[in-house]
Amino acid sequence: METVAAQVGRPGPIPGAERTDALFLAAEHKIYVRTDRLFARLMIFQWLAGIVAALWISPRTWIGATSYVHWHVWAAIVLGGAITGLPVFLVWKHPGQVLTRHAIAVGQMIFSGLLIHLTGGRIETHFHIFGSLAFLAFYRDWRVLITATVVTALDHFFRGTLWPQSVFGVLAAGPWRWVEHAGWVVFEDIFLIISIRQSLEEMRGLAERQASLEAVNASIEIKVTERTAELTRENAERQKAELALRESQELYHSLVEQLPINVYRKDAAGRFVYVNSRFCQVKGRPAERILGQTADALLTPAEAARAASEHELIMRTGQSLELEEMYPQPDGTLWYFQVVKLPVKNSAGRIIGTQGVHFDITLRKRAEAKLNEVHRQLLEASRQAGMAEVATSVLHNVGNVLNSVNVSSSLIADQIRNSKVSSLPKVVALLKEHETDLAGFFTTHPKGKQVPGYLTGLAAHLIEEQAEILREAGTLLSSVMHIKEIVAMQQNYARTSGLLESLPVVALVEDALRMNADAIQRHHIKLVRDFAETPPILVQKHKVLQILVNLIRNAKHACDDSGRLDKQITLRVTGGQGRIKISIIDNGVGIPVENLTRIFGHGFTTRKEGHGFGLHSSALAAKEMGGGLSAFSDGPGQGATFTLELPLQRQTELL
Amino acid sequence: MNQAPVPAVKPVGQRPGPSIGTWIMALIWLAGIVAAMAGITRYSFAPGRAGGVPARWPAASRITLATNRPTLIMFAHPRCPCTRASLGELARLLANCPGPLAAQVWFVKPVGTAADWTNTDLWASAARIPGVTVHCDEAGREARRFGADTSGQTVLFNQSGELRFHGGITIARGHFGDNPGANAVQALVNQQPTELIETPVFGCSLLAEACRPDQGGTPWKP
Repeated sequence: METVAAQVGRPGPIPGAERTDALFLAAEHKIYVRTDRLFARLMIFQWLAGIVAALWISPRTWIGATSYVHWHVWAAIVLGGAITGLPVFLVWKHPGQVLTRHAIAVGQMIFSGLLIHLTGGRIETHFHIFGSLAFLAFYRDWRVLITATVVTALDHFFRGTLWPQSVFGVLAAGPWRWVEHAGWVVFEDIFLIISIRQSLEEMRGLAERQASLEAVNASIEIKVTERTAELTRENAERQKAELALRESQELYHSLVEQLPINVYRKDAAGRFVYVNSRFCQVKGRPAERILGQTADALLTPAEAARAASEHELIMRTGQSLELEEMYPQPDGTLWYFQVVKLPVKNSAGRIIGTQGVHFDITLRKRAEAKLNEVHRQLLEASRQAGMAEVATSVLHNVGNVLNSVNVSSSLIADQIRNSKVSSLPKVVALLKEHETDLAGFFTTHPKGKQVPGYLTGLAAHLIEEQAEILREAGTLLSSVMHIKEIVAMQQNYARTSGLLESLPVVALVEDALRMNADAIQRHHIKLVRDFAETPPILVQKHKVLQILVNLIRNAKHACDDSGRLDKQITLRVTGGQGRIKISIIDNGVGIPVENLTRIFGHGFTTRKEGHGFGLHSSALAAKEMGGGLSAFSDGPGQGATFTLELPLQRQTELL
Repeated sequence: MNQAPVPAVKPVGQRPGPSIGTWIMALIWLAGIVAAMAGITRYSFAPGRAGGVPARWPAASRITLATNRPTLIMFAHPRCPCTRASLGELARLLANCPGPLAAQVWFVKPVGTAADWTNTDLWASAARIPGVTVHCDEAGREARRFGADTSGQTVLFNQSGELRFHGGITIARGHFGDNPGANAVQALVNQQPTELIETPVFGCSLLAEACRPDQGGTPWKP
């Protein structure tokens, strides 16, 4: 196959040459196929026209009155068909191929020869040759013209040599007459080839432009695709932004128009330029009667003057104001507003007005007042409850000690009741009976001989009884003293309520332990003390005791409920960073995780006899003292740790 | 930059070409066509049978011999397609003839043919030639007298009744153009060489007894 450069006469590579070549060859092939089909139709038409012409001009040959089909008719049908057949077949089977168009060129030229022959060498029929050459030029392939020219030249050469009249129309043609005819064909060929060359150059240019356009188009397509994706993305982002803006606007509208707040904006002169519906509602005026007005139209002179002063301050300084305002109402009630006033700045940062938000806090104020009252009552109740806890503990301990007193008293009574001292009257009576002769009695009388020994034994026994009674009396006295201490502690606790005292932490813990000591001892709970050295703490003693007694009692219950034998409560005191931590650690039943978060809630308890108030009031008390109460447990059966954390010295006393 | 898709163009080099068999078939076709062309050309140059033309004007003829100019008589088959060229050449001959000439065309009407047998376009064409008289040769009597067997047969007698030329005035079957017959007639009328000139005749047989060229006629070669 010839190269494209050879076809278009342009050497060397050109930009996009591969694509240009492909397009050029494709266009060329398309022309070949199209011209093949054109010639196929033309040759079939020629064939049929030749038959018609033969039938018209020389249908029959005659012998007198007898006729036969003329040879020319058979020649037109058979020979014309043969000439036409192969080119048409090749067009059908191999359109666009080199052989096809050259076969067409050969066939067409031979057909010209046939027509020239059939028309008796009419010079006019030679125009078929030139017309055919023009048609063959449709291929834009100069080789086809060469083939056609060679065929024509050979036809003229041979027939001009053998039957010159059949081709030249003259009787005596010169030996080079065929060259003259061929020369005219070549003459036409030159123009046709020039035309073909120009046409191919144009095709080449078109292919280059198409390749260039395709490249540009591809580039544009990519850019369009990218830009489309970008636009889609931007559109999505814009829609998202619009949605966000709409939601923001709705949020703003919801906030500004539906929340119970008054919103306004004033210009530099203090005239309202915006008010929300709540503002209008509170002021009892529609917006159109507020906008453009100053505060003078809405407030009392004093209030208006204050508002104007604040407006002027903000305009001048740019600072915001946050304050509470109180407005007496005609019914005598007071409306409270928390007011935030801010400067309005333009894009250049210049203050162009003010704006404000009024929060209606009347209800909150009233609630706060109620809350404060309830809180106070609660604290009081808590304190009383705490005292009750302590008192209960005291009475419990006192009761326990009274048991000891009772036991000691019973033992002393039994001792006295069963004392050998009752034997003394019998000895005394025996001695009185023999008082006259005591010496003889002691020496001679059988009973008298035994009295000294008996008295000796009795004396020893009584001394022993006395010691036992004295020991029981000591125990009784100790118990009574214990009761006295407990009562004194309770009195001390009650007396010191509400006062801040600087106390050693360990002493507080020991006091709390003492209040539960009997129960702990009775339930065989091992106490472990882990006290770090800490400075005194400034606290309300009764509150700390209330908390610790409560925590120790809970620890004792937890240990009891566990059923384990190695019951243990560890009391740990640590300090640091200005705070004291008192931990009560037991190895009792533990606390489920789900209960850890609500264990300090009011009414929460896991004991049948519990009322759910102890830990709650303890937590409140710890908070009141600026500290906190926390609980930790690894779960059921894992024990629990309650930690009371207190500041060493309170900065502000809440109560 | 990514390469965007472009219209697919099937490479020309990948398209299947004709097979060897096709090429052989094309060569056989070419050879056959050339041979057929040669054959038909050869047929075109095969002349009809030449009859025995009398050397002097037949006395039995009813045709009148012109005494002041040569007399040219063409015998023609009214339906022979090749005779159209003969009439054309006759018209050209008369138009180019340098001297006076009495020209006649006799269309042979075989025995048993219809009355309008000679009513053809050839008769009309002959009648349109200036200076030509057209006649019907009933049963071909005059053709026999003048020894004409093939349509287009032309005879030229001088004023003395001597035969100066006989033959056809076309170079081949139905072929227009320069031919030795017409050239001879012109030369004779122009008082040029006086020897008898004979040329082959190309056309249909005038009478049934004359055979077709391919049935015994001898091709004429210049």
